[in-house]
Amino acid sequence: MRTAAALIAVPAAVLVQTTIINRLPFDWGAGPDLVIAVVVAVALTTSPAAAAGCGFAAGLAMDVLPPAEHVLGRYALVLCLAAYVLALLRRNTGSAGSLDGRSSVWAVTGTVAATALGVGLGYAVVGLLMGDPRVSLAAVAVNTLVGTALTALVAPLVAFPLLRVRESLADDEYAAVRGPMPSGRW
Amino acid sequence: MFRDSSRSRLILAVLLAAAVALLVLDARPGGDPVTSAARAGGELVFAPTAAGVGWATAPAAALYDGLRQSPETSDRITELEQANADLKDQLQAARIDEQRSKQLDELLDLAGLGGYEIVAAQAVTHVTARGYADTVTIDAGTESGVRPDMTVVNGSGLVGRVTEAGPHTATVMLATDVKSAVGARLEATRKIGVVNGGTVPGGPEAELTLELFDLEAQVDPGDRVVTLGSHEGAPFVPGVPIGTVEEVQVAPGALSRLADIAPAVDFSSLDVVGVVVRGPEEDPRDSVLPPRPDKGDRS
Repeated sequence: MRTAAALIAVPAAVLVQTTIINRLPFDWGAGPDLVIAVVVAVALTTSPAAAAGCGFAAGLAMDVLPPAEHVLGRYALVLCLAAYVLALLRRNTGSAGSLDGRSSVWAVTGTVAATALGVGLGYAVVGLLMGDPRVSLAAVAVNTLVGTALTALVAPLVAFPLLRVRESLADDEYAAVRGPMPSGRW
Repeated sequence: MFRDSSRSRLILAVLLAAAVALLVLDARPGGDPVTSAARAGGELVFAPTAAGVGWATAPAAALYDGLRQSPETSDRITELEQANADLKDQLQAARIDEQRSKQLDELLDLAGLGGYEIVAAQAVTHVTARGYADTVTIDAGTESGVRPDMTVVNGSGLVGRVTEAGPHTATVMLATDVKSAVGARLEATRKIGVVNGGTVPGGPEAELTLELFDLEAQVDPGDRVVTLGSHEGAPFVPGVPIGTVEEVQVAPGALSRLADIAPAVDFSSLDVVGVVVRGPEEDPRDSVLPPRPDKGDRS
């Protein structure tokens, strides 16, 4: 059931983002990013590997859908890494179990904002490494800050309900039982 | 803090490697079968969804357009009330369909003046998720004859050029994008230069910047700029209005002359556009430019 929630929410977010949000004429460039909000909600309630897969799939879908203005794989790379790190941090530091697994709105909003900031900067860094002339200091500052603020605004409406749904559907019993993983060779 | 199983790390490594491989494949010049197949697949989902969204949101868009233009409209209503009651009625009855048909009329008018053969389309996205690129998606693709490196215009002038075309949608890079450079010519003096999107280093803060190669050239605010035209009309056909010179920067020691250009097109309210599928037989010179507004004529 939790997987089903993610499988519905992620494609829905990608489609809404590309066909509705990107259609709105935002004069300041970047709009809110629903995909980040949904990926955060999924990453907070799953294993790092599944989170990385979810981030990769969502990012790749965003790369593939029009407009084709950036190279394929750029968003997939950044979102995959962000989702993995988030899930890892949650598993090893946060209360990922079922003890008090209910997160507050503020915590979720803060997490989404932090992730949006990280994704924005990561996306800019990939562009910088690939020699994208659009990445300048002023453009990065404006796009990242505006994007982060707008994404944080939609987080209580998107990430929080999805997180609650996935937390209440904790039928995936070993996700609740399995604590920090024993570190092997790593 | 970062403890994890090795299997999980292996999955992450594989995914990151896949993303980097895609980046490298797609960044290479020229088309790649893998990435173009992926984009075609994405478009298969996008085109019907975007059409559905367009159909469903038409009333909301009409409301938004009405609200957006209400300050200007009310000004004009006061103006017209004094002049003509018929025109006032017409203005109040203006609906989005009429606006679209007006835009289409203007577009056909411009195409007719220049002798361009166009395919009309509508902009279905205006922003990108991360906001760096000034690109729009239009709802016409290779099945309507749209190919990469075609000029895109609307009723007012140059919009940009097609960078990527799928079967039913195409990506248009606007003239205001930082990557965009358009060969341009001053209307009267025929001096040539380049119109770059955004601000060039050392230039004024602007949406479009004209860089003139001739330092001695006489440029004044109010001078109009049209496209110079490229070899065989790709990516730009000649004679399309780009904008008006707002401010000329005189920088001592500069190698070229920079001017701030006010675009002819209102990029924030882009709707009906036309893709020039075939250029004019001969250069239309300045015939596409609208007649100069006469200052003493406004009564």
